[in-house]
Amino acid sequence: MSNLAQLFFDAASLGGLYAMAALGIALIFGVMKLVNFAHGEYIAFCVFALIVPSTDAVAVMFLGKAPALILIPVILGLGAAIAVASEYVVFRHLRKADPVAMMIASFALGFVIRNALLATYGGRPKAVSLWPGLNTPVDIAGASVPLLQLIVILSTLLVVTGLALLLKKSRIGLEMRAAAENFTMARLLGVRANRVITGAFALSGALAAAVALIMVTQTGVADVRMGGQIMLVAFIATVLGGLGSLPGAVAAGFLVGIVSVVLQAWLPLEARPFRDAFLYTLVIVCLLVRPQGLFVPASAKPRV
Amino acid sequence: MSKLGVFDIAVRYGKVPAVNDLTLHVDEGERVFVSGPNGAGKSSLLKAISGAAATSHGRIELDGDLLTGRPPEAIARLGISMVPEGRDIFGSLTVEENLRVGTGLRRDAEAVEEDIAEIYANFPILGERRAAAAGALSGGQQQMLAIGRALMTNPKLIMVDEPSLGLAPKIVDQVYDTLCTLQEDRGLTLLIVEQSSLRAARVGGRMVLMRGGRIVGEGNAADMVDRDALAAAYFGQSPEKTETAT
Ligand SMILES: Nc1ncnc2c1ncn2[C@@H]1O[C@H](COP(=O)(O)OP(=O)(O)O)[C@@H](O)[C@H]1O
Ligand SMILES: [Mg+2]
Repeated sequence: MSNLAQLFFDAASLGGLYAMAALGIALIFGVMKLVNFAHGEYIAFCVFALIVPSTDAVAVMFLGKAPALILIPVILGLGAAIAVASEYVVFRHLRKADPVAMMIASFALGFVIRNALLATYGGRPKAVSLWPGLNTPVDIAGASVPLLQLIVILSTLLVVTGLALLLKKSRIGLEMRAAAENFTMARLLGVRANRVITGAFALSGALAAAVALIMVTQTGVADVRMGGQIMLVAFIATVLGGLGSLPGAVAAGFLVGIVSVVLQAWLPLEARPFRDAFLYTLVIVCLLVRPQGLFVPASAKPRV
Repeated sequence: MSKLGVFDIAVRYGKVPAVNDLTLHVDEGERVFVSGPNGAGKSSLLKAISGAAATSHGRIELDGDLLTGRPPEAIARLGISMVPEGRDIFGSLTVEENLRVGTGLRRDAEAVEEDIAEIYANFPILGERRAAAAGALSGGQQQMLAIGRALMTNPKLIMVDEPSLGLAPKIVDQVYDTLCTLQEDRGLTLLIVEQSSLRAARVGGRMVLMRGGRIVGEGNAADMVDRDALAAAYFGQSPEKTETAT
């Protein structure tokens, strides 16, 4: 019983993290048909913003010293800012270009950000202790769960419902949904392309920042590569969910998280090092069976 | 005093020319039909006016404001609204959300609600299904929704691209009744692409005949129907067959 509860909390918190990362990618894809491979670097950027720029092995807290009530909005704002800035500097000029050209530009942008971080902070992973108190275990349903896991699950629910409300109830949300379905038609009705795209990038960047805060608290490490790893999983989740479908991204993010936790727990010991191989095999099987994505109604016309 | 002025424009897709040397004036409150065979450039003309397609030559003006080079959202703000070919309803949005997409450029919140109420009064089925996904509507209902949606930007000029496409003749009658009533009530200017010259003649208005990206004839729709120019545009030089389909 306690094992099952443990598994549940592990799966829900990892799934929630993947869901948030996948949402960040799906939002941009929805309005721009761009798979933004720089998204992982937004995450790394937000992690490193917590510490003082230096190549020393020991990290000194910078923004990370601020109380949570200030730190969280500032980091979310920073994530939004770097995403919006990258749209303004790079993607805006490629709007009429081929989607492939935009994707390659996003790779290049990610490369630039990663190398800027490497140059400023050095290549070695650094120990960062943000909110160490959150790793104290709490007993729930016979399982010993780190407080952070509960917070991750709660904040995922908060972020997902908040985003759903924003998309459903607000003016910008309506414009984003219309633009995601048919951008030209939305513009013919007076919807400002710049406003919608800037909004999507800001939200996407804020989601990257939320992922950054969770990852750094969970792992206690600031590493330039951490963005790239989760970006890969998130990208797979968005494809699995049906590119551009926001509910699909959330559902597939959770699914990937749950499956990898379950595989980790139930695979025979010798097979566990190959967990990801099993995971990606399942992904390939899913895509062979439903190339349009798992959570897109079969009747929906292909979005790509 | 011309309201919409199109001066010697050209539209091309890559190297393919779709519209050439086209000049057209539409007066305030006028109803103008654009007719001609498939590929004549009718849709491209409307897209150029709305900003959805770029012009490679010439200029377009509305009430003295230059439209050329402006993005579609800016042209919508100057008072042009469009019902595109195939209607382009936002299928995943609800009926009411479709109507509200175009209200972001308006500052008269109360009038927006009145307009929506009026659309529901004119098309009760849209009111009944206001919370349903627009993609589930029938073709005729979608056409009504597309017209309602175009109205919601509070335009001076509405352009409608092939409103009868894929609709039963009875529904087409209804669509045109609606357009004409709206025009009278609101003093709208209408620019309508309509393949069937008979239909245009029955509704009444001026007709412009396009072929190969150019205007090849122009006149009162009723007079144009059995003119040689029309038959020639459709069937090359020999005018023995006449178009009868509606
Ligand atoms: N998006 C496009 N890309 C390339 N060629 C196009 C495109 N749209 C239209 N064309 C071409 O431009 C010409 C005019 O098309 P169009 O304006 O759609 O004519 P119509 O509406 O009168 O049928 C045609 O030869 C068509 O093949
Ligand atoms: Mg056409």
